[in-house]
Amino acid sequence: MDTDNLISYARARFDHAAARQLLKEKYSARMLFPYNGGMWRADPTLLVLLATVPPGDAVVLDLYETPVQVNPEELRGIAMQRWQEQMNAWHLEFAELSQCR
Amino acid sequence: MSVGALIFAFNNEQTNYVQMAAWCAKNIKRHLGLSTAVVTNDVDNPDCSVFEKVILAESECGGTRYFEDYAESVTWYNAGRTDAYSLSPWDQTLVLDADYVVASDQLATVLSSQQDFLCYRSASSIDQNNDFSNGNNWFGNPAIPIAWATVMMFRKSPHARHIFDCMNMIKQHWSHYRELYGIDRTTYRNDYALSIALNIVSGHTLQTNYIQGNLISTMPAHKFSKLGEDRYRVDYVNKEGQSRWTQTKNIDLHVMGKKDLEAIIATN
Repeated sequence: MDTDNLISYARARFDHAAARQLLKEKYSARMLFPYNGGMWRADPTLLVLLATVPPGDAVVLDLYETPVQVNPEELRGIAMQRWQEQMNAWHLEFAELSQCR
Repeated sequence: MSVGALIFAFNNEQTNYVQMAAWCAKNIKRHLGLSTAVVTNDVDNPDCSVFEKVILAESECGGTRYFEDYAESVTWYNAGRTDAYSLSPWDQTLVLDADYVVASDQLATVLSSQQDFLCYRSASSIDQNNDFSNGNNWFGNPAIPIAWATVMMFRKSPHARHIFDCMNMIKQHWSHYRELYGIDRTTYRNDYALSIALNIVSGHTLQTNYIQGNLISTMPAHKFSKLGEDRYRVDYVNKEGQSRWTQTKNIDLHVMGKKDLEAIIATN
């Protein structure tokens, strides 16, 4: 790296807005998971929907709008676990990046 | 069912794509545990030893393209991608650009999908300030959405075969389709051929299933450097002309600046 590049490298400031958006894209992708032949996103919409479905088998549209027969309790359990794990990881990484200058 | 990753690598006057593909294959093995194959005309290249399969193919030139990081136009041997379906030895295949940095196991989710064909519908620039609305996420006149051929997943199936057959037809009659879709650039681009093919195969409804999320990309003008394993720093100048940087950790990236990527690979 030449001197000009070194100066520019040292003077550059951390772009918190871009980092925040990147984290959102990263963890939104990590909320995706397959179940029973369908593709799902662990998010409040799915969790709330599954909480309202009566016990027993139900047919729900997946992310590709394919009707999939699911066990709502089981799918909700998997989605909730995925959502909590990834939200915790997101929070940790966000706190880490907040220190960057 | 057999699964693997296929990478096309045809060196040009500036870039050693075979070396880049070998580095990409190592990342794929580390994160996804997949077999890899390279499609190249340079089968004696020592970097080919990284791959389980080396598939000989003639390079097909799609034209020349100006790359900002090299500050010159280079020959673009991109036209063979449409043969991915017939060249792939697997039932399910992930086709990746050699400049795609696999830094996580995120593509495993794409492989677990039951869809016969998937690719990215939209891309986003890492600095969040590049205008991706024109030329990168839409093209032609009237504009239709771009499907990105950088990452494609397909299963051997009639649906996937139709898409690749259609891409081949578009490539062979590129000047006709270019005129039909109002594309001003003369250079053949796989992304355009794929987008048009998906449009045709869907019965001109644009109703196609895509990989969820955006194809995160760094631009040729960005400075791309490695901070650690699967951690990268990207330096850029924002719209206000100020120097800024951001970093990624375990995020898969499409690195358009080949020069910086080659420098990283050379030190690894």
